[in-house]
Amino acid sequence: MIGIVVVSHSRALAEAAVGLASEMVAEGDRPVIAVAAGLDETTFGTDAAAVAEAIGTADSPDGVLVLLDLGSAILSAELALEFVDPEIAERVKLSSAPLVEGLVAAVVTASTGASLDAVITEASRGLAGKQDHLGDSPAVVESAPVAAESAAMEIAVSNEHGLHARPAAKLVALVNGFDAAVTLTDLDTGRGPVDAGSLSMVATLNVQQGHRLRVGASGPDADAALQAISALADRAFDDAPAQPVAETESQTTPPSAGGSGLDVAIGPAVVVDASVDLSSYVRSADEQKRSDEARAAASAGLARLRDDTAQRVGAAEAAIFEAQLSLLDDPTQLKLISQAITDGSSAPDAWHNAFDELATTFEGLDDAYQRERAQDVRSVRDRVLRALTRGTAVPAVDPLDVAGYPEGGILVVPELDAATAAGVDAGRVAGIAVRAAGTTGHGVIVARSRGIPLVTGIGDVAVADGVLVGFDARDGSFVVQPDEAAFRAAIGTRTAERAAALADADQPAVTVDGQTIAVLANVGSVQDAVDARGADGSGLVRTEVLFGNWRQPPTVEEQAQVFRAVAGALGGKPITIRTWDIGGDKPLPFLPQEREANPFLGERGIRVFRRRPELLRDQLKAICQVATETQVQVMFPMVTTAEEVAWALEQLGAIGTHSWGVKVGIMVEVPAAALRIASLADGLDFVSIGTNDLTQYTTASDRGNTNVAALADALDPAVLQLIDRVVRGVPAGVEVAVCGDLASDPDAAALLAALGVHELSAVGPQVPLVKARLRQTDLTAAAAVAAKALSLPSAADVRALLQAEL
Amino acid sequence: MGEQKTVEDFANWLRDLAVTLHENAAYLTELDSAIGDADHGTNMDRGFTAIVAVLDETTFESVDELLKKAGMTLVSKVGGASGPLYGTFFLRFGTALAGAEITPASVGAALKAGIGGILTRGKPELGDKTMYDAWAPALEAYDGAVAGGSDLGGALAAAAEAAAKGRDATIPLVARKGRASYLGERSAGHQDPGATSTTLLLESAARTLA
Repeated sequence: MIGIVVVSHSRALAEAAVGLASEMVAEGDRPVIAVAAGLDETTFGTDAAAVAEAIGTADSPDGVLVLLDLGSAILSAELALEFVDPEIAERVKLSSAPLVEGLVAAVVTASTGASLDAVITEASRGLAGKQDHLGDSPAVVESAPVAAESAAMEIAVSNEHGLHARPAAKLVALVNGFDAAVTLTDLDTGRGPVDAGSLSMVATLNVQQGHRLRVGASGPDADAALQAISALADRAFDDAPAQPVAETESQTTPPSAGGSGLDVAIGPAVVVDASVDLSSYVRSADEQKRSDEARAAASAGLARLRDDTAQRVGAAEAAIFEAQLSLLDDPTQLKLISQAITDGSSAPDAWHNAFDELATTFEGLDDAYQRERAQDVRSVRDRVLRALTRGTAVPAVDPLDVAGYPEGGILVVPELDAATAAGVDAGRVAGIAVRAAGTTGHGVIVARSRGIPLVTGIGDVAVADGVLVGFDARDGSFVVQPDEAAFRAAIGTRTAERAAALADADQPAVTVDGQTIAVLANVGSVQDAVDARGADGSGLVRTEVLFGNWRQPPTVEEQAQVFRAVAGALGGKPITIRTWDIGGDKPLPFLPQEREANPFLGERGIRVFRRRPELLRDQLKAICQVATETQVQVMFPMVTTAEEVAWALEQLGAIGTHSWGVKVGIMVEVPAAALRIASLADGLDFVSIGTNDLTQYTTASDRGNTNVAALADALDPAVLQLIDRVVRGVPAGVEVAVCGDLASDPDAAALLAALGVHELSAVGPQVPLVKARLRQTDLTAAAAVAAKALSLPSAADVRALLQAEL
Repeated sequence: MGEQKTVEDFANWLRDLAVTLHENAAYLTELDSAIGDADHGTNMDRGFTAIVAVLDETTFESVDELLKKAGMTLVSKVGGASGPLYGTFFLRFGTALAGAEITPASVGAALKAGIGGILTRGKPELGDKTMYDAWAPALEAYDGAVAGGSDLGGALAAAAEAAAKGRDATIPLVARKGRASYLGERSAGHQDPGATSTTLLLESAARTLA
């Protein structure tokens, strides 16, 4: 994607123009837009050096478009081209397009991945819509050349605001993917035909809601283009405010490169320290310059990460880095930093102080979503600090910088945060070793779902960078300078096991004694569903993750569309959709929550909606709508009392007759719910045990707190006793499933089946392995082992028992 | 002929010019308010004040280093069109003097390079009512003086005198470049601020580099 630079005399003007243009496209699709405007916040003027820097920030192999206001902006921009690397200057184009209109057209066009030339053309046509509307200049509706049309059709525009820029951009992007000339004519106004491959031309039609369009096409792909346009029109031009639709589209792209899916790994250690070591930092004569360079390097690194991540993992994960990038451009922070440097601070001190203070501010906010940004602030700070250490004796390693460490290395990290787990290149690392204990944190879950070999709780073991290390997560061993041959042999065996498991993935998991256990996949994105090999459906669709990036609540139709895509990716097998499970550590941008002293004991899951049921009702409508087309169950999270169950059923009943056929269940995460399951589950179709939360509530151990996370072990006999109680206590006919991470561990899955759980939902990459393990299990014999496990004193004893006897 | 000019002499020129521009800031701004955006005096003053600050804290080894730093400072601090224009002038003026002995001829070649930069940047033509209307006759007069055997100070004095004539000649012109061009015919009857500051620059050079 090309980058864009805005040069203006006024910073306020430039930033407002960028804000206006940015609204047109989803965050994840936006090009990098760098601003060089004003001499400072309030002084008008342009600065060629700043323009050169902005060009560096926005630079991409696809080129950079510079939009400018007037006078010195033009001179400064031209001069800036003399300051940048000639190789970069060659791919920079200055545009004479009007700033605001040109920028809007450029951002929208660039977001479709259009070439620099195409973006320039669209930007310079930016005035066309306005001129046409006001009629104060020669007719600008350029009629498309009337080629011999080979096909034509009519479509209707259902979008509330007509074919405005966002849906128009989707249409244009789609059209440009075909080898066909496509024209549009608005049958209600008689305007057109215009070139459907040009955003400005489509904009000049000013198509309103309800208008009918005639779509003509010629060329080799004419028919295919029309079919695709028709489908797009049926989907209301995918005009959703954020990315899940993009994920639907990603089905056509190759699946993200995942890890090996093994639990054993060997490779050179890539040691990432908890804090950036600045002890060998030496001040320079010009700390401001150092600071600027480090910021530019951090910015370039983040932009690269964002693009890589978007391609390898998905737009949702890439958005984390987009947000981090904006922190680097924050004028207030930059001012603070420069002021500190002017006052005599070193660059690292200036960044440390300014960003630490910002992180503290974020942590003090009421909205949980905002509070999580503190993590981003620290991550950005460390990125700049690492850049500042470059060239010093001990340059710090960036865990996400794929180019920064050897292929096949093992990342040794103090803790694993979700952003690192999501962003790390699974094809490049052999595995991740986490010093902190705990197997249920977000980062661990993300890494596991991506199939990256992982061991946790290795502790303070001394590891030098580059030294060969190996681990085997089955017994939790981590070895420095291991017996390489033995590890290679183990990897060979496990790979063969995995290959065999994958080969049989689509076969049902039938135990030795002939019982069939359903093994399903937990899904947080359409891609998860696509990647889930051999899953008998999804036992947990995490809606708060599917829509985690949305700034506004998705509509009923938008949700239904995504649910359909998930079900479609699983070939119509049953899916269990969990209603919004927010609160605790899972904030949603469109549902701000007040700060709570104990969020995990506060308004979580269904509790959130007692005060505002509208969002829940919309979701239930969407679920019921999709349930008429495919096998869907609905599940309410964080239920504690029978009164809550009754309330949830009442909400569902209010949807009308649609809800009659939908199977309904609750999650069992609260110990109280497990203890009184007999009364709680009365009248339900199923219950599904969420082992992560059930474990942290039973052991009173915050799974996010590395100091106590080791206590939150789902194999703790106390947790197993509660599971056993649920299996034996549910009313007749109520099915029991487990959708927590415990079901992803093959040995634990066998134990759960032996306890009588006949439906397990695991992370996608583990599904074939869980199935393979179950096929080797004799449940009749295993039941005795399971009974023994319940009375053991600790999780470690249970683990030893599983190794020895199951 | 005076003795070989040093970095210190060129620095003194910049300091003198800074004082001159500061004293004339209100005047330049007043000229600019008639036909532009009323910021030329403020902008130039800000730029040269920044240059003086750089001079105060940095020691320069060579004339070209000094002039290039001055150019970069103007680029970043002036803000208006005069930033990239004067900035480019000093950058190229300095670059042309890199490694050269300071002689009337080498300074003439450097002036030509600097003015060439202004031409590249602003694409002005004679009579567009811009600073070029002062620069062009100034260069011609400088070259003429050097050809006639004049020393550096004499050549610069001739250049400043020609620039002043060029500046005065801008009064009746209709602006065709810059913000003033939006005014069209209404720009006639006013002296061009850019040609005025150019003249101040050359007059200062003639004073300090004589």
